[in-house]
Amino acid sequence: MATTEADQRKKKSDAFQYGTYSAKLTADDHKEMLLQLYLARYFDVRLIKEKKRGRLTGTLYSSHNQEAVLVGSLYGLKPKDWISPIHRDMPAFFMKDIKAGWRNLDRMGMSVQQVCAQVWGRVDSPGRARDNWSHIGSRSKHIIHSTSMLAGTIPAAAGVAYADRLSGGDAVVLTYNGEGSTAQGVFHEAINFAAVHSLPVVTVIENNQWAYGTPTYLEYSQEDFARRADGYGIPGLVADGQNVLDVYDKVLEAVDYARSGKGPSIVECKTFRAYGHGDHDDDRAARYRPKEEVEAGRARDPIAVMKRIMVERGLMTQKEAATYAAEGKSASEVSNEDFPPDVVAYLSEGIEFAINSPLPPAEEGGMWVFREEN
Amino acid sequence: MAVAEQVSSKKNYLTALKEAVFEEMQRNPDMVCIGEDIGFLGGAFGVTEGLKAMYGPERVIDAPISEAAIVGVACGMCLNGKTTLVEMQFIDFISCGFDQIVNMTATYHYRTAGEVNMPMVIRGPAGGYGGGALYHSQMNEAWFANSPGLKIVCPSTPRDAKGLLKSALRDPNPVMVYEMKELYRQNKIAEEVPEGDAALVPIGQASIRREGDDVTLVTYGNNVYHCLAAADNLAEEGFSAEVLDIRTLVPLDEATIIESLKKTNRLVVVNEAPRTCGFAGEVLARMSEEAFEYLDAPPARVTRLDTPVPWVKPLELYVLPSVEKITDAALRVCKF
Repeated sequence: MATTEADQRKKKSDAFQYGTYSAKLTADDHKEMLLQLYLARYFDVRLIKEKKRGRLTGTLYSSHNQEAVLVGSLYGLKPKDWISPIHRDMPAFFMKDIKAGWRNLDRMGMSVQQVCAQVWGRVDSPGRARDNWSHIGSRSKHIIHSTSMLAGTIPAAAGVAYADRLSGGDAVVLTYNGEGSTAQGVFHEAINFAAVHSLPVVTVIENNQWAYGTPTYLEYSQEDFARRADGYGIPGLVADGQNVLDVYDKVLEAVDYARSGKGPSIVECKTFRAYGHGDHDDDRAARYRPKEEVEAGRARDPIAVMKRIMVERGLMTQKEAATYAAEGKSASEVSNEDFPPDVVAYLSEGIEFAINSPLPPAEEGGMWVFREEN
Repeated sequence: MAVAEQVSSKKNYLTALKEAVFEEMQRNPDMVCIGEDIGFLGGAFGVTEGLKAMYGPERVIDAPISEAAIVGVACGMCLNGKTTLVEMQFIDFISCGFDQIVNMTATYHYRTAGEVNMPMVIRGPAGGYGGGALYHSQMNEAWFANSPGLKIVCPSTPRDAKGLLKSALRDPNPVMVYEMKELYRQNKIAEEVPEGDAALVPIGQASIRREGDDVTLVTYGNNVYHCLAAADNLAEEGFSAEVLDIRTLVPLDEATIIESLKKTNRLVVVNEAPRTCGFAGEVLARMSEEAFEYLDAPPARVTRLDTPVPWVKPLELYVLPSVEKITDAALRVCKF
């Protein structure tokens, strides 16, 4: 059967056509996005290595294979916009507004030192190590503090958006959720409220196919989760969560829609959780998930997808693409040489800072239950 | 203004609450009210009647029937610089928003090491004695007293209703206001209520409602009036009872209770909540730790039985504290 020109183009470009927003991205934007994909990946694998070396304790919630969702969704935001990350979005805390300079402490995102201090449970964490892992945030940097009650921060996102609009602002609030938490009652309550009030809240669903140990067909009953948006009278978009450019397109479309006053939307990013829910169940995840499904889910590494697009568009040579080769490798298979030196240096600065930061004084455990003075 | 529609200058509990809400909305342009039916209807009991017309739909939000979202949205607004007043249509419904209160809002200041304040007030009609049955009669304050980070007040008079609600709306912490809906329109407790800052009643201070020498009846809310009636009965029996209205549960004014016990040496604690892990038990525990040396008799509790609150009158009165139950308990303590 003769292949059509369209078929060939589809195959050639990893089934990706530039959209309204990604078509305007420059060559430098592409390179920056690829670099950020490396940065998110390196954060993940480096922490696993630190733990294996015995320099770190606590559970890690890997964003491995899901980095395009973070990078693509954050890339089009304005500094004043708010985000509400969850446990698998740890890099988002320091990648928010990272375009303003990785080491720029005035940018509207956390420093890598702060985030690492939180991972290590040290006093220089933004929350002074009072709650673990991703349970930090920053009012001044416009990051809503995450908790263990997944979907429980979407009402707060709606409230932040409501208050901002009341004060004359036009910030957008981006919330991240796994597909698992969409079964929570509060998910419905919050999206409904946001829809009724046309609030600028964009709900990004990182649909990684598994809610801890439960597959999607036991979580909801639609082919595309995004169709749930129909019930609220709001847009529901589906993005290829392995393709940073497609995520960028769909999220920015939703963000523009929100900023123009039209209201909230849901962006479902289809991706796949590469390993366990946390590193504590990596071994069991290898058993409860079919091998073929895991292989298929990891087959389109977001770093590899972006490289292919860049090579095909002439934004990178094959040789350049081969310089660093982190894609398709697990934490134990990858080394520092597989990442750009800037990425390794940046994370290393954060980790060294964290390790040298002291534990909080014990008596702080009894502080800040109430604000004492008016 | 929709507030003052009373014939005399005495104001009932409901009017006092309305004045607090209107005055604080006027004083603080960053204050937002949210709740079910609080706008067009003016609230199920009318506490916010006229508020939406005066301050607009942006600051007076008629929310969907979504208690979790109502509290959570208010939490987000507090995070972004607003003061919020949340109305629970009945305090019984608060369980639907429980997680957003105890895990999101109550912990916010703590988990951010003081970065974020939560100037949120959650108010709602509470308490029994009205035939409201299981889901319109509860006193569930102990759930929240057991969740660090929440202040809890329970006014029993119009002055306290206005003064404590106003103070709550100026507090940087989340404050729960348990309003006694059976007292809302009781004319016999109507009284002169100050305006503006003169109306403020500080959170964390108990009030002596009746002085006495032989036994201290520690209570709050509806039961203040049962204790006052019991004190009349006790006087007939030759015992002088002091009635101490704690007004604020968290933080508890222990000093005032201890001072009273130094004088009376006898303690009875009365509340509407069930016996097991109710707030009365907390008062007894603290006094056994802090004031044991002043006690001449084992203290007693008068509480609801460990049951839900049933509907029809004989059933309801069977399980709730009554003047007779309080009198009997106090006599036993006095005669020990």
